[in-house]
Amino acid sequence: MLALDRVTKRFAGHTAVDGLSLSVPRGVIYGLLGPNGAGKTTTIRMIMDIIEPDEGSVRLFGEPGTGRDHSARIGYLPEERGLYRRMRVLDLVVFLAEMKGVERRRARARAALWLERLGLEAWRLRRVDELSKGMQQKVQFVSTILHEPELLVLDEPFAGLDPVNTQVLKDAVVELRRDGVTILFSTHIMEQAEKLCDQLCIIARGRKLVDGALADIKRTQTGHHLVIGFDGAPGAAAQLFADERVVKKVDDYGQYAELELAPGADAQRLLAALVNSGARLARFELSEPSLNKIFLDLVGPEAATPAARPHPGGARA
Amino acid sequence: MRKIWAVIRREFVERIRSKWFWISALLGPVFFGAMIVVPVLFAGAGGTRRIAVVDGTTGAFGARVVAGLRGGKIFRATRVPAGVGVVDSLTQLVGAKQLDGFLIVTDAVVETGTAEYRASNVSSFRDVAELQDVLARVAVAARLERQGVDPAVVGRAQLRISLDTKKISGSRTTGESAAQSFALAYVMGVVLFLVITIYGVNVMSSVVEEKTTRIVEVLVSSLRPFQLMIGKVLGVGAVSIFQFVLWGLGAKLLLSQRQALLAGVGGAEEARQVFQMPHLSAATLGVFLGYFLGGFFLYSAMYAAVGAMSSNEQEARQAQQPVMFLLMIAYVSMFGLTNNPESTYAVTLSLIPFTAPIAMPVRWAASTVPAAELVGSLGLLVAGIVAVTWVAARIYRVGILMTGKRPNVRELVRWVRAG
Repeated sequence: MLALDRVTKRFAGHTAVDGLSLSVPRGVIYGLLGPNGAGKTTTIRMIMDIIEPDEGSVRLFGEPGTGRDHSARIGYLPEERGLYRRMRVLDLVVFLAEMKGVERRRARARAALWLERLGLEAWRLRRVDELSKGMQQKVQFVSTILHEPELLVLDEPFAGLDPVNTQVLKDAVVELRRDGVTILFSTHIMEQAEKLCDQLCIIARGRKLVDGALADIKRTQTGHHLVIGFDGAPGAAAQLFADERVVKKVDDYGQYAELELAPGADAQRLLAALVNSGARLARFELSEPSLNKIFLDLVGPEAATPAARPHPGGARA
Repeated sequence: MRKIWAVIRREFVERIRSKWFWISALLGPVFFGAMIVVPVLFAGAGGTRRIAVVDGTTGAFGARVVAGLRGGKIFRATRVPAGVGVVDSLTQLVGAKQLDGFLIVTDAVVETGTAEYRASNVSSFRDVAELQDVLARVAVAARLERQGVDPAVVGRAQLRISLDTKKISGSRTTGESAAQSFALAYVMGVVLFLVITIYGVNVMSSVVEEKTTRIVEVLVSSLRPFQLMIGKVLGVGAVSIFQFVLWGLGAKLLLSQRQALLAGVGGAEEARQVFQMPHLSAATLGVFLGYFLGGFFLYSAMYAAVGAMSSNEQEARQAQQPVMFLLMIAYVSMFGLTNNPESTYAVTLSLIPFTAPIAMPVRWAASTVPAAELVGSLGLLVAGIVAVTWVAARIYRVGILMTGKRPNVRELVRWVRAG
């Protein structure tokens, strides 16, 4: 559906995206994850042919042609939302659909349908600047899907939405996927990505750290993850957790601990040892690590401060 | 193509819907109506002058001068016999504004042709010309009679000449007077300057709006920046043409109601003399519209580029100054262009694409422009539009996605080369 091959983009004195390759299969929800300044938006802009990569190639639908050539088949929600403030809602979404090559009358019919679905029916003849911010975001979302795209590219779609609108938008995305639309979205909110994504790619400082199906990443990236809750006395837990042959990493809260077992270690043996040491357990749970934890482990604290921002004269990363 | 069409329609419809469009659509005819009414009001305001004629002549000369002045429209003259202290008391009357002035005639008028006029206002050409005219007629008649010519013959021989000027355009007489040519040229220049600026700035703010709201990202991922720019320029251009049509209809309506309009301000009778609609031939109209469109395309491409390199409205307003200055060159030269339309300076301005949109129509209205010059000027203008649009499109393409500080000239050159 979408393949990036060693794509690189440099701005003055700063590499925003560095040899990034990834592949988005048809019909999935694909998450592009990374901390601020990781190069997510630059990557998406290259996919959309808004900026050209310095090296590498972007291939869409397995066919030649740029994002702009295929624009009728792609819906795009940019990171920085923007609408013509003085236009009427209906006129605006119809215009944007026309930009995607939809015939005017058809655009009007589809617009009426979607505006109603997102509860904007009563506002369709109002000017955009009379709408609340949340409503404007919904209007913008409508404008990205009105032309029935096969691929939906959403840059931080949930940023700035309240819980109610987040829910509405999430439902719409899931439903679109059910209808066979491929969705690529960027985010740095891991909880959302974890629930939504079939596949994902984590990038930091323009480089790919890992990609693939979420379940595979969880399996391969870290060992077994253990959550332990104490009911009073922790016994000799501290000593046991310190054994590097059994425990690779620990996050001990005293009454609660999250640990990652060393490769080959047996959780049952640890349980037995804990009980023998006199610990009273409220909880002992083998679990998969959260995406948030994988993300933090991979990205590391140093990625929290992105590399220098691009030169003021250059496009934003 | 359909996308460009959608951009054109959006620009057109959104602008037509704005109240500013209709305000200016109304203001045009109001301004035009003022052009009809104001001169008449001014002519009325000139008013009549109350003067005394101090008669120091021995014959009937003084009485004849008074009669002659009364025959005209300007003076209400009274005859005052010359005497001791007369001049002083009249001077006081003028000072007290009970009198506008006084004319002193003696026998010397007939002999040497000199008289004296003292008044609170002696700078009015109209007043002075009328006085001279009447005095000359009466003096000539007096001299002839002294030579024994029959007064009846003198009366018949007297002829007042009014000079009727007509402009020759090509080899046809257009029926256009000098004043009308001048007025037409001047009005055309002003309108062209204003409208090119206003609609150019319209294009600029439209670009800046798309840039500041970031909607340009969605647009540019759907159609090429060049298509967007062209659609925008054509859309705004269509609005300006529509504006002209409305103005034209408004002016036509006012013109047909001219008598009623002037009667309303109490000057119907004088109307025909003071205001005559300049003869606007199809060719003149064609030149006007042609150069308007040319100028609009040339300048709006530049304005689009300026908008693209600015990140907000304020910055754009600063950055547009060089563009404005370019258009100003022809505008500030307009007086020279109308007074001396054949000078090398005027011809040069009407050939350079940046000044031609104003200079050529002004020259055209003020004089007769050789066909070769018109063709050359149009050719250069079209070439200029192509070149400027090419450069502007490249600046536009890079600029609309930029944020941050405005590029300097070196960066601009790089943008243009980068294409």
